[in-house]
Amino acid sequence: MSRKTALLLLPGFAFLAAGFLVPAVAMLIAPPGEEPTAVLSRFGEMITDPYELRIIGRTVTLGLIVTALCVGLGFPIAYLLARSQGRWGGILLALAIFPLLLSNVVRTFGWLVLLGANGAIGKLLTATGLTDDPPQMLYTPLAVVLGLTQLFLPLAIISCYSAVAQVDPGLDDAARGLGAGRTRAFWSVVVPLSGPGIVVAATLVFAGSVTAYTTPYLLGGSSQRMLATQLFSYASVSVDWAAASATALIMTILVFGVSGLSALAGRRGATA
Amino acid sequence: MRARPVAASLAVLGYIIMIVPILFVVVTAFSAGRTLRFPPQGFSLTWFEAAVTYDPFMESLVSSLYLAAGATVLALLLGVPATIAIHRGKIPGKGLIEGLFLSPLIVPELVVGLALYQQLMIGLGLDNLSTLLLGHTALLLPYAVRVTGASLALADPAVEEAARGLGAGPVRAFLTVTLPLLRPGLFSAALLGFVTSFNNVPLSLLLQDREFRTLPVTMLDYVQQSYNPRIAAMATLILAATVVVAVIAERTVGFARIFGGINQ
Amino acid sequence: MSPAAEFIGVTQRFGDFTAVDAIDLEIPEGKLTTLLGPSGCGKTTSLRMLAGYSRPTSGTIRIHGVDSTTLPPEKRGLGMVFQSYALFPHLTVAENVGYGLKLRKLPRAAVQQKVEETLELVGLAHLHKSKPKKLSGGQQQRVALARAIAIRPRLLLLDEPLSNLDARLRVQMRTELRRIQAETGLTVVLVTHDQDEALEMSDLMVLMRGGKIMQTGTPREVFSRPANRFVADFLGYENFLTDQTHTFSTVRPEHLILGAASDGSAALRLDATVVSTAYRGVDLLVTLDAVDGAGETVRLLADVRAGDGAGLTPGTRTTVSAAAAHLVPIAA
Repeated sequence: MSRKTALLLLPGFAFLAAGFLVPAVAMLIAPPGEEPTAVLSRFGEMITDPYELRIIGRTVTLGLIVTALCVGLGFPIAYLLARSQGRWGGILLALAIFPLLLSNVVRTFGWLVLLGANGAIGKLLTATGLTDDPPQMLYTPLAVVLGLTQLFLPLAIISCYSAVAQVDPGLDDAARGLGAGRTRAFWSVVVPLSGPGIVVAATLVFAGSVTAYTTPYLLGGSSQRMLATQLFSYASVSVDWAAASATALIMTILVFGVSGLSALAGRRGATA
Repeated sequence: MRARPVAASLAVLGYIIMIVPILFVVVTAFSAGRTLRFPPQGFSLTWFEAAVTYDPFMESLVSSLYLAAGATVLALLLGVPATIAIHRGKIPGKGLIEGLFLSPLIVPELVVGLALYQQLMIGLGLDNLSTLLLGHTALLLPYAVRVTGASLALADPAVEEAARGLGAGPVRAFLTVTLPLLRPGLFSAALLGFVTSFNNVPLSLLLQDREFRTLPVTMLDYVQQSYNPRIAAMATLILAATVVVAVIAERTVGFARIFGGINQ
Repeated sequence: MSPAAEFIGVTQRFGDFTAVDAIDLEIPEGKLTTLLGPSGCGKTTSLRMLAGYSRPTSGTIRIHGVDSTTLPPEKRGLGMVFQSYALFPHLTVAENVGYGLKLRKLPRAAVQQKVEETLELVGLAHLHKSKPKKLSGGQQQRVALARAIAIRPRLLLLDEPLSNLDARLRVQMRTELRRIQAETGLTVVLVTHDQDEALEMSDLMVLMRGGKIMQTGTPREVFSRPANRFVADFLGYENFLTDQTHTFSTVRPEHLILGAASDGSAALRLDATVVSTAYRGVDLLVTLDAVDGAGETVRLLADVRAGDGAGLTPGTRTTVSAAAAHLVPIAA
């Protein structure tokens, strides 16, 4: 490496180290006032503790449901967007991307208005006479799932879109010319060829869902504790550094695990 | 779309989930009533006034704007030279170095926030503004490196050589040729960086202080205490500002190009 | 006259790969020199070292007698036309051409005048306000050329300048480049893999292979007297034979005569059997097997007028011959 190149890299690297790398590593081995092994032993306790396991289980389960919903809704949207032309296609694409620029707090906040005790959905159920006493919707797994789906659907759409857009529409026609119906052509040509995009979408959504804070905080409350809200509570309410660090470790392992799996899937896809 | 009923129905459901809650925020903000309920009682702009005259919102808004601007500028000043080194320099382990600069993207932001809070603020006694600036800069470095890197990868390296051959020194060639070519990438990176920092909750969450708070976290706390349309009005104002940013983005470099940069 | 540039024992290594292997070369002043060879022969690397974009691993490069081996490109005052043209996309045609002039701190009016003159020379005066993206490939090529010659370079370096143009335009630009070179009196070094281009345009041809110079000479010298088998092959010699005295020689397909030669002047005369024929309208390509003077069976290719080969079918036995002037002895 030439000296010039090193000088260009150094300032950025220094910031990266100070603002990210060093604290992240230090957090695992040296929380303030704790033994260096405290985090690991706490981690060991957590993954055998029923209460903690329930939180981990809820986080993973909701994450998987949200991932399935985001891919299941996002892929058809991406497909239709990629195959549609003209003004409407452009507007719908912009509408799908726009939420990525918008604050999560603003986006999630809408569900409070919709699902709350005096919210629109409850009012709708009462008004239509379906029920006199609308069920509790806020602070349920359903609320968290809806909120997270809203949050991560744009990400899923973009990831799928870039993959689907690269599939030559001529292939649809070719499959249909060979006798496949529209549905068959979709499942046997478009979906497999967009495979890598779907894997990327699923990975991003899952990693985002299991680490999101705003949504479980606003829509799940204390009755739907997830890893992120639990971590915050350890760090700022009970100030239990080892527990907070151990929770952070669990979250990180989840994210790295799914990223690793997806990279593996990508590599297998590339060699197959 | 008529011919694809299943896909079309799923798409409609998806758009409803993405868009409808946002519309309800807007509707509620124009309420004349005292609580967040539906349908809103009457029409008024009272709560907008209540939002813009509410000191905690306005103070944290200013703080968030400063923080976002500072972190964006810092991330570009540090990230662009690094990108140039990665793409144009002869370095071993190019992929590894780029991966290092992109690594803040894969570690959960809440985890990074905890690390900074625990190690820098509690451990080293650093003030929260410096910690926030440091953390947000590290968070935005991947955007600076990746988005400007995508621009740089598209630019023909021979263009810089041509400038050198015509008599421009390395610095001059960079300023008159490379930098103008990077402009769309720099703009995209700045815009994405600014928005990302401004909207951030997980990283900033633990790094709050009575003196310096960020707007999204202040709004989260507000919901916990009071349940009235002031928060909806503030959210609507943020929405309006985001629409303006989006229109600027679309008119200048285009949405697709901006998000093409992060989503690789 | 002293040479415009010299390579003295110049070597360029990239890791284990030797791109240019101890070459010695003199670029004559006011002439057009081509570096010709297949891809990977080291021609572009040599040009980039001359321009200052890469530094030789060892050896010396002199420009007008001055050791310039480590001089950065901006201090060399050379004009370079890149294969990709490398036009500045954010600048207009006029700004592109004026870029180097501005750096030379010329007054604005002088820059403008120079730009106009140069665009006139390449026939693009009407396009000075356009952005490069709006131009055709041929026009971009002319802008790149104008930008390089506007600074009155000591040498004009052209890296495969015509390879991105379509066939018709390419032939037209050869004449054009020659005209501009004659009008400006510039010393030009042109890198190409196209032998026709090199033959048509060069004053001096330098044939390279594997980082080494195979042969240097005028197009006539090189074409009629290839120094070795590689050069002969590259220039379209197809037939290689050894005679009783173990002299290795080569003949072009169009110089092989089928059937008995009318006089006794033929320097080569072999019995041969037709293997296959390929009709090409004006001419006929005939592939034959023959036994050469050294007793080896050799595959020969003859390019004859279509009418002369009318009766030939696979298996036909015939004689091949060639005049002494066309039988070129080469190094094995």
